[in-house]
Amino acid sequence: MYKFLLSWRYLRTRFIALASIISVTLGVATLIVVNSVMSGFVDEMKTRLHGALSDIEMSASLLSEINYPDYNVEIIRELLKDDVEEVTCVVRTPALLAYKFADRTLTQQIMLVGIDDKTFGKVTDFNPYLQHERKRQQFSFDLEESGYPDTMGISGWAYRRQKESHKRELERLYQEQSNRAVQLQSQFPQSSTEIAQTSYLQETTAPPAETDKDVQLTDGGFQLVPLPTRKAGDIEQAMKNRGSIENDDFKLDGHDPHAHLRAKINPEDMFDPMKDQYTGIILGKAIVTRKDYEGKEHFLIRPGDDVQIMLTTVGDQPKPVSDVCTLVDFYSSNMHEYDSQFAFMPLSELQRTRGMIDPMTQQGSVSTIQIKLAEGADLNACRDQLMARFPHEKYFCEIRTWQDTQRPLLSAVNMELTILNILLFLIIAVAGFGILATFFMIVVEKTRDIGILKALGAPSHGVMSIFLGYGVCLGAVGTGAGILLGLLFVSYINQIAAFVQTITGREIFDPTIYYFSEIPTIVSPLMVVGVALGAIAIAVMASVLPALRAARLHPVEALRYE
Amino acid sequence: MSKFSMAAQQAASNAQSNAQSDASRPPLSVVRKTAMATHGLKKSYHKGKLEVPVLKGVDIEIEEARFTTIVGQSGSGKSTLLHLLATLDAPDDGEIHYNDQRIDNLPARKKETLRNQEFGLIFQFYHLLPELTTLENVLVPRMVQDGVFRYLGNRRKYRQTATEILELVGLGHRLTHKPSELSGGEMQRTAIARALISNPRVLLADEPTGNLDEENGSEVMNTLQLLRREKNLTIVMVTHDAGMARDSDQIIRLVNGKVAS
Repeated sequence: MYKFLLSWRYLRTRFIALASIISVTLGVATLIVVNSVMSGFVDEMKTRLHGALSDIEMSASLLSEINYPDYNVEIIRELLKDDVEEVTCVVRTPALLAYKFADRTLTQQIMLVGIDDKTFGKVTDFNPYLQHERKRQQFSFDLEESGYPDTMGISGWAYRRQKESHKRELERLYQEQSNRAVQLQSQFPQSSTEIAQTSYLQETTAPPAETDKDVQLTDGGFQLVPLPTRKAGDIEQAMKNRGSIENDDFKLDGHDPHAHLRAKINPEDMFDPMKDQYTGIILGKAIVTRKDYEGKEHFLIRPGDDVQIMLTTVGDQPKPVSDVCTLVDFYSSNMHEYDSQFAFMPLSELQRTRGMIDPMTQQGSVSTIQIKLAEGADLNACRDQLMARFPHEKYFCEIRTWQDTQRPLLSAVNMELTILNILLFLIIAVAGFGILATFFMIVVEKTRDIGILKALGAPSHGVMSIFLGYGVCLGAVGTGAGILLGLLFVSYINQIAAFVQTITGREIFDPTIYYFSEIPTIVSPLMVVGVALGAIAIAVMASVLPALRAARLHPVEALRYE
Repeated sequence: MSKFSMAAQQAASNAQSNAQSDASRPPLSVVRKTAMATHGLKKSYHKGKLEVPVLKGVDIEIEEARFTTIVGQSGSGKSTLLHLLATLDAPDDGEIHYNDQRIDNLPARKKETLRNQEFGLIFQFYHLLPELTTLENVLVPRMVQDGVFRYLGNRRKYRQTATEILELVGLGHRLTHKPSELSGGEMQRTAIARALISNPRVLLADEPTGNLDEENGSEVMNTLQLLRREKNLTIVMVTHDAGMARDSDQIIRLVNGKVAS
């Protein structure tokens, strides 16, 4: 009984005990926070890496091809039997992407992936990363009417139609202007330059007396200034003189070379951007978004815009080819590496563009076969089976699990985790030595009390357990507080990061550097228990030596101690 | 006799009825029995390589239920002798007997039980635990004696006894004070109460008045005398002041580590 009473009293009356408790608390809290964040980070990263990569990949060396993919898929299915859940074929090729922004053509390098829209989503985590709600449920390469996230602004068919009609309006206005110029020219054929000069002067010195109301149009910062109407009667007169000017570009000399073709074309079959789209393409969001200083995303192009892709054909003599695609959605896995690289388009279209379709068999070749394994299948064993069946010397293809592909990254992260844990455990060890020193001081200070207790018949182990109990108390209280503090910190970590960001003005967790927009955390109960036990064990171990010293004190000498 | 001593006398007779072992003790009229005895006790201390002999063969006999004073100058070995009697230290040579049983070679656990239950110890510097209140200080031997659960079970009874004893020594109003809030005399009386809590048979006091003024000192002495009479305690007191020994039943003079006849 006296042990508990004295442990408690020593704990309560010593300020230094508080210091020891705080050091344990901080150590434990740090370990919990770091472990939670790191394991959250690793887990999230693995999920995303894994999701984008599929379980096992069998890929031809870059820019070469795997022929007869259907046949190979059959072999794989037969070889791995029930371990296979789904197999999909993809073509991967580096390409250039060109699109118009503010009247300039921007060109960018991308990794173009041709995917089979039926199976690709089952093999990798593709669908959840799309932006349009319906595409996430049921994937297609068709442009949607609307329903894209509001941050993109107006997108989809609505945008495409608006853009097209705008363009046509501009063309119409241009046409009108040139018609008018022609009219004027025909009226005063002798002095057309003079007319132009006068009209210019009129425009700048005084506002035009009369303008057509639909001619004035503002668009994108530039203004179409209509030429001032001169005498309305003059123009009507000129029109009459000259006759109709419809289709005058074809009929200038009264001859249309394509007249016989024109007659055969049904206007319904002509490509009409108001109703028709090119091959759908899905771009990684980071390819065409830019962030301003406030962190707001700006889209350079939106679903509904057309883009051009340029790539080379396969074969011994690659030739550059290009194709026009319509952007139908964005892909955003929040893994910057992928979002700034990948573009997806239909497999068959890419095969056609790259010349991967065998003219004899009409079979398309692919660059990669991706395999998703069934739940519980052994990743490495399946890979080894495949490697035995498709030896590298014979098939020239690499077979890798997603872990193999990301090995450098994964092992770097694992090493980081290990080293961090060692370093942080050293912090707790430092706290342990702090406790050791504190306890030695307390034992020295309490030497006479120890003598008194022994004189009153307290056994050595009883005296020892006072100080061991003291250590356990210290460790337990410090650990408890540390767990509480650590868990609180972990659950509010994003708020804390935002707070620190507002104070320092620096982005702490930059999604372009790390992979995620938020700090991911996973609190594993096992880790918390481990850290807690470790901390208590260190506190107890640190109190063993002083406790032993206390137990070995000779009562007579202890009593004489001043 | 002061007011305190009268109160103490009355309380002592109450406390006596609580003591379990009183019935087994011999009445005063019976021939004196030896409570403790030493034979050829030798003890020396080592200061580096130098050996300093303190006790050079001490033979004493302490009679039961009597007040024995060991008188000696500083350095005569009287404190060492008391420590040996209390089994706080082991002799280099010789034997110590308690109730005709040799105790100097007992295992540590037996010695601890002996100190806890048979002997009551009183020191010159009181030796109270500064973190505990007066009452808790008195209860420490009981806490040491019992395990946690047994102690908690008996707590009420122990507190009752401790309060009675503290009232006996005149500290009934000081139960919740820390030692730092007590005067020297009060601290020593607390120490005496602590020595009495386990109903010991022998009270071993090392200069109990050494740190007190004359008035407080004589009160402590009176309390000790009273206890001897009322509780039939065997009291062994060590002092350098021969004057303190005048009321003793037996005086042993120690000179240079030997008993002077």
